[in-house]
Amino acid sequence: MSQENLLIELGTEELPPKSLRKLAESFASNVEAELNKAELSFDNVRWLASPRRLALIISNLSATQADKVVEKRGPAVNVAFDSEGQATKAAQGWARSNGITVEQAERLVTDKGEWLLFKSEVKGQSVAQLVPAIAAGALAKLPIPKPMRWGSATTQFIRPVHTVTMLFGAQLIQGELLGVESDRVIRGHRFLGEAEMVLNHADQYETLLDDSGKVIADYERRKAIIRDQVEALAAHENGVAAIDEELLEEVTSLVEWPVTLIGSFEDKFLEVPSEALMYTMKDNQKYFPVLDKSGNLLPRFIFVSNIVSRDPAQVISGNEKVIRPRLADAEFFFETDKKKTLASRLESLSSVLFQKQLGTLKEKSERISNVAEDIALQIKADTKHAQRAGLLSKTDLMTEMVMEFPDVQGVMGMYYAKHDGEDHEVAVALNEQYLPRFAGDKLPTSLVACAVSLADKLDTLVGIFGIGQAPKGDKDPFALRRAAIGLLRIITDKNLDLDIVELAEIAKAQYGGKLTNTNVVNDVVDFLFARFRATYQANGFSVELIQSVLDRRPTKPVDFEKRIQAVAKFQELPEAAPIAAANKRISNILAKVKGDINTDVDASLLEEDAEKALAEILGSLESKLSPLFAVGDYEAALFELASLQAPVDVFFDNVMVMAENEAVKQNRLAILNRLRNLFLQVADVSVL
Amino acid sequence: MQKFDTKTFQGLILALQDFWARQGCAIVQPLDMEVGAGTFHPQTFLRSIGPEPMSSAYVQPCRRPTDGRYGENPNRLQHYYQFQVVLKPSPKNIQELYLKSLEEIGVDTSIHDIRFVEDNWESPTLGAWGLGWEIWLNGMEVSQFTYFQQVGGLECSPVTGEITYGLERLAMYVQGVDSIYDLVWTDGPMGRVTYGDIFHQNEVEQSTYNFEHADVDALFGQFDQCEQDSQKLIEAGLALPAYEQVMKASHVFNLLDARHAISVTERQRYILRVRTLSKAVAEAYYAKRESLGFPLCKNLVK
Repeated sequence: MSQENLLIELGTEELPPKSLRKLAESFASNVEAELNKAELSFDNVRWLASPRRLALIISNLSATQADKVVEKRGPAVNVAFDSEGQATKAAQGWARSNGITVEQAERLVTDKGEWLLFKSEVKGQSVAQLVPAIAAGALAKLPIPKPMRWGSATTQFIRPVHTVTMLFGAQLIQGELLGVESDRVIRGHRFLGEAEMVLNHADQYETLLDDSGKVIADYERRKAIIRDQVEALAAHENGVAAIDEELLEEVTSLVEWPVTLIGSFEDKFLEVPSEALMYTMKDNQKYFPVLDKSGNLLPRFIFVSNIVSRDPAQVISGNEKVIRPRLADAEFFFETDKKKTLASRLESLSSVLFQKQLGTLKEKSERISNVAEDIALQIKADTKHAQRAGLLSKTDLMTEMVMEFPDVQGVMGMYYAKHDGEDHEVAVALNEQYLPRFAGDKLPTSLVACAVSLADKLDTLVGIFGIGQAPKGDKDPFALRRAAIGLLRIITDKNLDLDIVELAEIAKAQYGGKLTNTNVVNDVVDFLFARFRATYQANGFSVELIQSVLDRRPTKPVDFEKRIQAVAKFQELPEAAPIAAANKRISNILAKVKGDINTDVDASLLEEDAEKALAEILGSLESKLSPLFAVGDYEAALFELASLQAPVDVFFDNVMVMAENEAVKQNRLAILNRLRNLFLQVADVSVL
Repeated sequence: MQKFDTKTFQGLILALQDFWARQGCAIVQPLDMEVGAGTFHPQTFLRSIGPEPMSSAYVQPCRRPTDGRYGENPNRLQHYYQFQVVLKPSPKNIQELYLKSLEEIGVDTSIHDIRFVEDNWESPTLGAWGLGWEIWLNGMEVSQFTYFQQVGGLECSPVTGEITYGLERLAMYVQGVDSIYDLVWTDGPMGRVTYGDIFHQNEVEQSTYNFEHADVDALFGQFDQCEQDSQKLIEAGLALPAYEQVMKASHVFNLLDARHAISVTERQRYILRVRTLSKAVAEAYYAKRESLGFPLCKNLVK
């Protein structure tokens, strides 16, 4: 069967850069799905995208669907013919609708009966017939949060569409997409290339755009070119470009023909904290900052233009003119902000709401301060510093700099605190209170910062759960999941001796009577346990392993972590599986017993050797393990417990637990109960 | 040969007017009221409602009290000019027309880096939103480009295309100066006049008024009065006078904002009050045009 490459291109006005990749990718996957549904064979679907086009190249697409035999079942034979063997009305109608006579119908015989059957040969449709609907279907399903209309048309899309080109090899596929008729004319770069070009063959698409259109339609290639250019320019300055992946993607989506240039600004701006300068460069202007070999900002910026300018110097000086007032603003904010201390800004936080029911940011700061102090005491950090850092934690939000560049919250607090003469540890905590910001981000370095970070997260968790606004589905406006994961990571990785129930109680107490949810502590603890489950699962621990520990609800994260690791080690032992099975068996036996089960074993009631042996080992293990449990050495404890495998198996082989003599039975149950309790001090291994 | 000296501020305005007049726009004059943007002009806000076509262009002085800098910041003013173009329905070649207008005022597109960068517009007080771009000229935002989707809470059909030029920024570019106040307004037989000559004192004094003297209590009173009047006028079926009260209320709100007289929570409530008025005006205007049989539909290009 003949095959060709199929090109589908949509020529548009400038598409939103932050969604360009997603648009193109889902266009490709939607078309792929539709092609599969239509049973058209192809090798692969490749997407291309630039500011003014979305395109797909489907390689080696077969020209037509395969022919198919379609079987249509008609009425059952006993209703198709009357008693005289004449075709009934129903049979005639069915036959007519299929364009045959009843006599021409075939018969379908199964063990359930016999029916009339019409077999028709359906010719496979051609690509030209199928593709317009396939493309239209794929476009209709693109993720477009805000579709728009333009002119007088009712068509909706993400931006106005000007050209549609569907070429199957050299053949133009006729059809309309989004109100535009398919045509061979494609458009080049706005200023560099030919305005319009005629495409003769799908395979010439990229070459024609490259050579005559001055458009690099291949997104990934364009991105790679930009990265190379940016790196080369930075290297030329003996520096390194700070290439943020997200920014690189955005820049790639803003140009069709990248030309990377470098500009400068006055050294004096380097007095301003580099975080603020870099923020305005990246976020406002889409520039790449340049750092020296030791990570200090250089007075340079790299930007990607969309033109081979006849006079690049004008493009550079134009951009320098834009960045200068912005940097001057940052400098001005920095100088102005330094005139007031952070402490003097505390009062102004009383005009900013944290949450309507939960009060102002000033109240939040006071709560954070108290909770941080309490935590500091528990983890042996400087309580005064923790208290102070908590109180000042939100004051930088009231500075001009943070109002203008919200992303530099925290880090500006640190700079201003240092300037105010606050203790170094306090200043650092103001920055590190927001850590970790994302999965894999670094954690606070000092214990004081840990205390403040934990206090802030706890306050938000307890407050929001306290007014019944727990996250639902993907709605998590207060980013409680992130707060919870961050909180657990800090406690676990920093090995802090803290208990989440106690912490939630402390945070709750700060709210006085503001919280309406009386079950808030439990809800927060459950939420944290759920994060534990998700985190450990993501780290490759089995659901059963995590469950075995979760069942014990160890409320100290460090303790939780130790148990997880211990059970993971235990599982590697050959004894693990039989011991888990034995625990399960014991758990089932005990579950069936009505009433309390003893834990006292009466030696005089021991009859069988096997139960005597087990009781003896249990006794010695109990005294051996209690110091291990006391220090949380679960790994060693489980290693010891593994030695129970043989005696337990012998016990079950030789001893009848449910003895006829009630006292003997109770005694045996007591043995099992004690054995089980020993394991439960680590985890419920019966679920493994 | 260029008809206008676009190296002067007035020449730039004349060139833009001339260009858009040639495209068929009605060149109307500025609205004689204090507004924060050219969008408030009835030729934009009201005319984008309903099926009637209308294309116009005009200069609009804009007042943004919070942007005042006492004449000390070379880039920020509390009073400045926009050149506004509204094309309804938005023509297919609207972007090309815009680019041509840039060439007309002396921007060489083979030298400068011109980009359409996504920037969606929303006016909470006007109950309006649209999608479009800001236009970058070597990284500087010189215009806003919006396809209106909704105005006064009503769906726009047909869609109005709005182009807003920041005249001072564009002029600074064309003239190559770093301060608005150094812009040449005119340089003719009667001498050279700069933007600063005309407006510097105004910036100093108006900033002082906006930030220090505007009477907060009186302004709150005015806001309530405008709101009441607007509501009454809507009931009387007078959409245009009712709309003027909305614009007044909106400017009063901006002044109160400059005086920091409205708290963060209150702010939202005030915006909502203006929006409620805007929506009522939009509906009343639509109803009136409908009762007149949408007379301008006769201009629709078939």
